[in-house]
Amino acid sequence: MNASVTSPAVAHYREALVRVGPALPGSPARRNAAMARFAELGFPGGRDEAWKYTNLRRLEARRFQPATAGDASSALADNVPTALVAHRLVLVNGAPAPGMPATMGGFALSSLHPGSEDHLLRAITGGGTERFAALNAALSPAPLLLEMATHQHSDDVLQLSLLTSGELSTLACPRLVVRMAAGSRGRLLLDHVDDAAREHFTNVVLDIELAENSHLTIYRLQRQGVQAFHVERIEARVAAGATFIVRDSQLGASLARLDANVSLEGRAAHAEITGVFLADGSRHLDSHILIHHRAVETTSLQDYRGIAANKGRGVFNGKTIVHPGAQQSNARQVNRNLLLTSGAEIDTKPDLEIYADDVQCSHGTTTGQLDPAALFYLRSRGLSEAAARSALTRAFAGAVLAKVDEPALAALVQDELDRRLVGLLELDA
Amino acid sequence: MLSIRDLHAQIGIRKILKGVNLEVNPGEVHAIMGPNGSGKSTLTNVLAGRTGYEVTKGTASFEGQDLLALEPEERARRGVFLAFQYPVEIPGVNNAYLLKAGLNAIRKQRGLSELDAFDFLALIKDKMKLMQMDESFLSRGVNEGFSGGEKKRNEILQMAVLEPKLALLDETDSGLDIDALRVVATGVNNLRSPERAIVMVTHYQRLLDYIEPDFVHVLSDGRILRTGDKSLAKELEKRGYDWVKQEASAA
Repeated sequence: MNASVTSPAVAHYREALVRVGPALPGSPARRNAAMARFAELGFPGGRDEAWKYTNLRRLEARRFQPATAGDASSALADNVPTALVAHRLVLVNGAPAPGMPATMGGFALSSLHPGSEDHLLRAITGGGTERFAALNAALSPAPLLLEMATHQHSDDVLQLSLLTSGELSTLACPRLVVRMAAGSRGRLLLDHVDDAAREHFTNVVLDIELAENSHLTIYRLQRQGVQAFHVERIEARVAAGATFIVRDSQLGASLARLDANVSLEGRAAHAEITGVFLADGSRHLDSHILIHHRAVETTSLQDYRGIAANKGRGVFNGKTIVHPGAQQSNARQVNRNLLLTSGAEIDTKPDLEIYADDVQCSHGTTTGQLDPAALFYLRSRGLSEAAARSALTRAFAGAVLAKVDEPALAALVQDELDRRLVGLLELDA
Repeated sequence: MLSIRDLHAQIGIRKILKGVNLEVNPGEVHAIMGPNGSGKSTLTNVLAGRTGYEVTKGTASFEGQDLLALEPEERARRGVFLAFQYPVEIPGVNNAYLLKAGLNAIRKQRGLSELDAFDFLALIKDKMKLMQMDESFLSRGVNEGFSGGEKKRNEILQMAVLEPKLALLDETDSGLDIDALRVVATGVNNLRSPERAIVMVTHYQRLLDYIEPDFVHVLSDGRILRTGDKSLAKELEKRGYDWVKQEASAA
């Protein structure tokens, strides 16, 4: 720990808070405490189990400039891709553009005010990304609160386009706090993009609570540029009878790490975290999914399909903990990985801890290559090798992609996969 | 059309084909029979371009072109079709996609325009009726969950859609009951034409009752030992293969 206190990178961000802190909303004491926690944890060292396969030396070597709320009004938002759905809010470097409406896609939107500070800057603890969640709490320029009122149902999707952009290499700390009141229902699309002009560091926190019998689906699309660093912490608490769903597409950035920690806290709470990642080029994509079963009859599904090619590297760590007393729980974990070329690598670790006796749990992990017999079959019908490989790769991801029940997003992800796969397969052939 | 000269092939160090000679002309139907392990499937697989086989000697040309130098898809596009002994199940890739992509690749090679979805559907529905296949086949994964008979019918359906010049049928009759065999045979017979050649590999005379060959060859230990007309198949059924081997070694 002592080494991290003296880390020049930590010192850089501490000084940055001194500089930009006065311009940030909320209590300085709380931000200073968060920064102190970040300094205490520091950047992960080589022996940190949570970072076993992901080395952050490159990230630590950079000196990103924290964005402030003032950036949001600039023309940077022009870099944002067109909206995929009817309701879309753009956040530039974590801050909404001025004139944010009070409601959108069924959600009530509000930014940090004295009454909401406890919610909006609540400490997120534990796990490999606590340090970055603390950094986020210290430097987030405009935490955003999204609330769905009791028994309110919205079938709309609210797209949040989170753009990281700047003249300098920028640290953006978007912080989204989602509160689903009892019996409510809503859908969010998190679309992570950047200007791709230079190296930026996007450090996201989602702090989510689902009250009894509420229902939240989050579609996640991480499509940042090839230079980007992206770290994200999703923290969700799910009450009795509530359902929390994440449909993840981890496609972009140079180095990306997602930690999704879900706590099923009431009877029959349910979580599904499914997704695909495509680690091509020299991308490094790391996903850590952790689901706690803390109550009876809770159910969960983790299902990830990972694809790696060229010098790409994927890391998947899926963990389920069934706590004492969480009887009649049902937990399923699936992680299938595909290595398209010889230089690629995927490290996967399924992890199941069970402290209750009347439960159903399963996990399955595979890592392999495309089936040569299937490839030959398709080619013998006239398909080029690239087309055959692309079709088989799409089929591989298909079972999980089929769960993306928002057509515009599903089409975009499919197109992006096709484009990249055909590109790299033709290059390879 | 197909000219095979002194073809030798092996898997690893195991020599399987030891000098096969075969001439196939347009319009002809050839049956290749022989005991297990004689190299029948290897011959069709080598001609279709499956990897894992090493051709150590000899040639195979198709319409004057060195067949062995071509990638599997190039062979398919020039009109070579292999009906697999064990069709592969490919969940997530549907039959319609495969057929349309294959057909359009072949049409492109022949200088024809690509078929759009509407024309493709019209074409395929006719052929499916012929093979007594339900339309739901199209949206299912390639051979996914198909019974043995359905898989073989699907092979012939693909052949009917792709209209090859040279069809290689690898034990298409194996695992079929008599009704399925009749459907498959009807499908194959419908494709007989003066421009098209068919080479079928089989263990049993039974298939030849439905698809009458012009020539019957006995392949044994990697060589064609004897060639005759369809009466040779009847004789093989009565007498087995040993006499062919004995006569060959005596000669």
